[in-house]
Amino acid sequence: MRRTLLITLMLLSAVFIYAQRTISGTITDGDTGEGLPGVTVQIKGTSSGASTDINGSFSLSASADNVLVISYVGYITQEITIGNRTTIDVVLAPDTELLEEVVVIGYGEVRKTDLTGAVAAVGSDDLVKGLVVAPDQALQGKIAGVQVINNSGQPGGSTTVRVRGNASIRTGNTPLFVVDGVQLTGISSRPGSTAGGVGSTISSNPLNFINPNDIESIQVLKDASAAAIYGSRGANGVVLITTKKGSAGETQVNINSQVGFSNVLNEYDILSASEYRSALDEFGVTATDADGGANTDAFDAILRSALTHTHSVSLSGGSEDALYRLSVGHHNQEGIIIGNSMVRTNLNLSGTFNFLDDRASVDVFLINSVTEEIVPQIGTNSGFQGSLIGNALQWNPTYPLRDTNGNILVSQPGVAATTINPLALDAFSDDISDYTDLVISISPSYKITDNLTYRINYNYARGFGERRTQFNQALNIQGIEGIGQAAFGEKLFTNQIITQTLNYNADISSTIKLNALVGYEYQERQEDTNATLATNFSIDGDYFNFLQNADEIIPFVDAEPIQKLSSVFARAIFNIDDTYLLTATVRRDGSSKFGSNNRNGVFPSIGAAWNVHKSLNLPADELKLRLGWGQTGNSEFEAGASQTRWALDAAGGFAQENVANPDLQWETSTTINIGVDFSLFDYKLTGSIDYFDKRTEDLLFQQQVIAPGPASLYWLNLPGSEVQNNGLEILLNYNVIDNGDFTWDFGVNASFLNNELTKYSGANVLYGQVFGQGASNARIHRLEEGQPLNAFYMQQFTGLDDAGLSTFEDPAYVGDPNQDVLLGINTKATYKKFTFNLAFNGAFGHDIYNNTLMTVLPITNLGTRNIAGSLVGSGESTANAIQPSSRYLEKGDYLKLNNATIGYNVGQIGAFKNVRFYITGNNLFVITNYSGFDPEVNTPNVADGLPSYGIEYIPYPSARSYMLGVNLSL
Amino acid sequence: MNFRRLILVPFIILGVTACDLDEELREDLTAEEADQIFAAADEAEIASLIQGIYNGFVLPFQDQSRFWAAQEHTGDLAIGPTRGGDWDDGGVWRTLHDHTWSADHAFLSDTFEEILQIVFSTTNALQFEAAMTPAQVAEVRFLRAFAVFAIADGWGQVPFRSADSDLIEPSEVLSGEEALSLVISELEAIIPDLADGPNYKANADAGRVLLMKAYLNRGAFGNRSNPEFPQADMNQVISLADQITGYTLEDNYYDNFAPDNDVVSSENIFTFENVAGENRGGNTVRSRWFCTLHYNMTPSGWNGFTTLSDFYDTFEDGDVRRYAETSALAETGFNNGFLVGQQRGPDGTELTDRNGAPLVFTPEVALLESGSNLEVTGIRVMKYIPDLANGDNINNDAVVFRYADVLLMKAEAQLRNGDAASALAIVNEIRAARNASALASLDADALLAERGRELYWEGWRRQDLIRFGRFLDAWQEKPASGEERLLFAIPADQIALNPNLTQNPGY
Repeated sequence: MRRTLLITLMLLSAVFIYAQRTISGTITDGDTGEGLPGVTVQIKGTSSGASTDINGSFSLSASADNVLVISYVGYITQEITIGNRTTIDVVLAPDTELLEEVVVIGYGEVRKTDLTGAVAAVGSDDLVKGLVVAPDQALQGKIAGVQVINNSGQPGGSTTVRVRGNASIRTGNTPLFVVDGVQLTGISSRPGSTAGGVGSTISSNPLNFINPNDIESIQVLKDASAAAIYGSRGANGVVLITTKKGSAGETQVNINSQVGFSNVLNEYDILSASEYRSALDEFGVTATDADGGANTDAFDAILRSALTHTHSVSLSGGSEDALYRLSVGHHNQEGIIIGNSMVRTNLNLSGTFNFLDDRASVDVFLINSVTEEIVPQIGTNSGFQGSLIGNALQWNPTYPLRDTNGNILVSQPGVAATTINPLALDAFSDDISDYTDLVISISPSYKITDNLTYRINYNYARGFGERRTQFNQALNIQGIEGIGQAAFGEKLFTNQIITQTLNYNADISSTIKLNALVGYEYQERQEDTNATLATNFSIDGDYFNFLQNADEIIPFVDAEPIQKLSSVFARAIFNIDDTYLLTATVRRDGSSKFGSNNRNGVFPSIGAAWNVHKSLNLPADELKLRLGWGQTGNSEFEAGASQTRWALDAAGGFAQENVANPDLQWETSTTINIGVDFSLFDYKLTGSIDYFDKRTEDLLFQQQVIAPGPASLYWLNLPGSEVQNNGLEILLNYNVIDNGDFTWDFGVNASFLNNELTKYSGANVLYGQVFGQGASNARIHRLEEGQPLNAFYMQQFTGLDDAGLSTFEDPAYVGDPNQDVLLGINTKATYKKFTFNLAFNGAFGHDIYNNTLMTVLPITNLGTRNIAGSLVGSGESTANAIQPSSRYLEKGDYLKLNNATIGYNVGQIGAFKNVRFYITGNNLFVITNYSGFDPEVNTPNVADGLPSYGIEYIPYPSARSYMLGVNLSL
Repeated sequence: MNFRRLILVPFIILGVTACDLDEELREDLTAEEADQIFAAADEAEIASLIQGIYNGFVLPFQDQSRFWAAQEHTGDLAIGPTRGGDWDDGGVWRTLHDHTWSADHAFLSDTFEEILQIVFSTTNALQFEAAMTPAQVAEVRFLRAFAVFAIADGWGQVPFRSADSDLIEPSEVLSGEEALSLVISELEAIIPDLADGPNYKANADAGRVLLMKAYLNRGAFGNRSNPEFPQADMNQVISLADQITGYTLEDNYYDNFAPDNDVVSSENIFTFENVAGENRGGNTVRSRWFCTLHYNMTPSGWNGFTTLSDFYDTFEDGDVRRYAETSALAETGFNNGFLVGQQRGPDGTELTDRNGAPLVFTPEVALLESGSNLEVTGIRVMKYIPDLANGDNINNDAVVFRYADVLLMKAEAQLRNGDAASALAIVNEIRAARNASALASLDADALLAERGRELYWEGWRRQDLIRFGRFLDAWQEKPASGEERLLFAIPADQIALNPNLTQNPGY
């Protein structure tokens, strides 16, 4: 209103010069007849204009020969010559063409009805609600065939995202993420930890820099006919994130604020002090120090109810020629483990500017995010001295953690010198990361003719992170006790992409429309890390502030080879009478990583679709058949593997470090996808079914070097190898009730996946390392033709003998960590001003290896440390050796209430519009027989270049969260 | 419509010029760059090439799970018992001691490949021979001979490549005899060029010791089940021993293993250098004390490996090799030699184990422990003096060749040539230096036992037992084993990839 007044005043001041008069009127919706607020009413050829108020009314000054341009997103723009009228009422008709769902497909977008590939889209309303840090988490359980595993409960911790299963033997099964056309590197700007102590800490999610509140929609290109436009990076699927943009009209201010707390979802069944004492009796443990006389719950001591508050404010608006959106987000989350927190502040700015009679335009956007993480001492590969979680689980519950004065006991009589008090580990260590991510994108485009548009995009992504770690010498960790250790690490990466496209969009006959695209793209990536590890300090203090004081200072510098990717691509979409659709794409990628004998890869695809309901008279509203074939590549291997490298190493050494493979190239996935989309019963039931068969060949693999050689492994494409993933994906949405006051939508998505290493003639490599005491060198995955990837291979546990010792049968394939069935259930109901959302996700038919039970809570701990509750009454010998076996393999089936939200739309309160309060809960419960913290778990480790999958090892426990939130706008 | 053309121009230019996809390395150098440097390298640049080779020795020759384990755990002086929840590690230690390892034993496979990496890096360095001094060429060839000898010793076949070999293609394979001939001819060729010192670099005496070992073991490598010792070979051993001068038996036996053993030892002929505060590529001989000390001791250890009581019992009272109080005592509370009985902290307090029971190391030890005392079984071995000041990156150099070994090999050659009297004199000279009484007579078994007492846990036991025909015997916690155990199995993955390798008999 204020703005309207201002404009009116300005216009009034001009009245005398141009003999203008006040024109007023109301703009109404052609469908509902209601007034439309925020409609732009502009005088053609000028920058003067107004926008309608909450009732759809406007008022401005104009002269009789002026033409009013009345425009509103989603409606057909009208132009009206004023003439001698002073009141102009306009009915705007919805633009059905525009309203049709548009899907981003990479280097462009198409109407959903024109799609030929397997592309799934989720709008902002349907993403996971509540406490969500990064955009991939918002996809959990939303798309058939897309699996998102939160590897741990750590705020901002890494996830495992898989589109249609694992296709590759080695690391690099993560899809390509693209934000508003910017292809991301997948690199987290947080440096890894260099200091010893607890092993590798959980890595950060590289998508943390994106505020989920800024997301408009997420599309996933699942099959090769869709993803082939991304060529050698498309084989794992492509996730396209589109951020919110401004729309023409008055400045919109949207505010979202939520506050809440989290606590632990599930705990391990370990013994209380009294149970522990009974167990000592039961197992005949009479050791002097077995019972320390206290009653302690050490796991409870490292847990807390953790506070989270998040705030987002966005301003958006502009005119048709200049749209903008500015958003600021702040996410402040405590972890449920003491001493852990994440604070992120980010800025997102986007704009679109049209000029030269709308022939030219510039799109810009910028994301800048600053994150501080205080990382807990939780390792993914900790040794026998464990990490915070292991130390707390293992703590003998009959010993205190603090003395009578409340001071933390680092050591105490009766507790072994190597047993670490978890509170001491927390108190005497620090691990602070501070990192900044920046993405800048600018895209000028020019309409050369009405049909031909040239566009050039330049984008630049930069991540810079620092990490300070220290362990006080008071800690009784070997190699740290008495001397102390600290590390300072930095990481910097940059990625630049320049893309030029020509897009031709025309009716080439009365029935055939063509949308053609050709493009050229060049990318260049650089990554540097450096760290200084310092040991043995002369005085106590914040070691990382005076590393130079240390006796031992070891620097590490890691400057990765520059990665260059040069690509040309083309796509043509033919639309014949809106009935038959044909899409053909091809991309040629040349990469500096590829061997000199195989520098360029070509990735073609073709897709066809038939809108059956346009040809035949069906009892369905819509029926579409889709068929797609395509090839995509995966080139996620380390740069520098194709040529001989000489490394400068410690003590002035210099040596050849690798076996070069000049034939090294991408691995190729060929996918066939058959799909059907349908709408029935007057659009009440919609859904789609897809069958896919994805075969990945030329598998990238790190093979043993044929000795003698300079290294133990080298990269190659395994000849004659193949991984097959096939499966069925079903998506159903049913609008159960829709009667004004009460609406209820129910959606289910399910995928049935099958994974097999169908062709493999290499060695039956053992990988999937397990960790902890007595487990050095133990591995439980094995590669073999005919088995699924990551098949569990180990001794078969047959029970305990009379002496209480384990008995085994020979090693065999005893399980499979790959989920057979993924399930998502999403339901939404509204009643008057109330909204209700429930989102479940589940996975079935897979096994989890419980490395925590095996090495952290075994019976041999009894007398010195805690044991698993399940061992009580087992008759197991307290001397039973720790050996990996099927004993620790558990069914991973689960169904989880991922989110429940109840909202109440208040409407207007004073100056605040669209006020909505809500209560939301995440991870509310999980139904499972798995005995660990959470069956949704993956403690990722890599052995010989092969990643483990489906192993739990003392992870950060999952959190259950409750948040109270409010949305409002101005 | 000029504008249209202007836009299209960069499209084309970029499309053409940016196609230069040659990979730019940053932390590393390309082969061409390395060639350029070494084609006209000065001595310092070549020294960096040689240091790169030395760095490759750290893991296979110092870590507790590599060649040291292959030589000691398979013998009668060391055992890695499974202690309930501790140290089972999938049986990797047990199968070494009871001779039941297989072709996919992970540590043996890693050892094989890592030692062969040295064979590669040395040959690779020698392609720049033209830029090297004669001493540097000799140094590199010595290091290669050392690695070839170790592979021939363990596996009886040595994969080998020339410098221009295609690394993706299978390598050629030398038989054990060919490999030993290569070692001998190489050493004979280079000894005149090898430098005189220091002992932590290849030197002429180190060349002579390795050559002694080659001659001494030639008969055993040629026929492991029934070794022969030609007189000519033994004469070579004796003659080489006599050329090794300037060393004396150390008054303080453990100075050979002290943190500053590069300075204080008068006996060490060849060591692998460790420098305080530097990590040169892996776990060092610090693991000798970590793997044997109990968790509750100072420094805190991993409570793993021990020796065997049958061996311990062969020492006399007073033999410093069994018990000596060294500079370590004040800082650690323990002696050097063997740790048995009640253990104490630096302040003299009696330590307990993690159960609160007295930390009393027992002579008894079993391969698979199951009693309530499983934490404390076995006699611990403290050959090195722990470097407490330097955490994981210790200063003790790893001892490879020692003068006492030279003397014992000379004695062995004399004994095998029938000169028991001279041999006995040498053995008694050593025993006197170690405060042990003189032996009255000497036979092969007595000499083998003395080698055990002098050189225990230094990484020679398997080779000695094979040469003395005792490797397949039953001993404490080990039954008699089959002849196939005289060689390790060729690692399964190398067999699969290299058709020129044939699996050793019995695997």
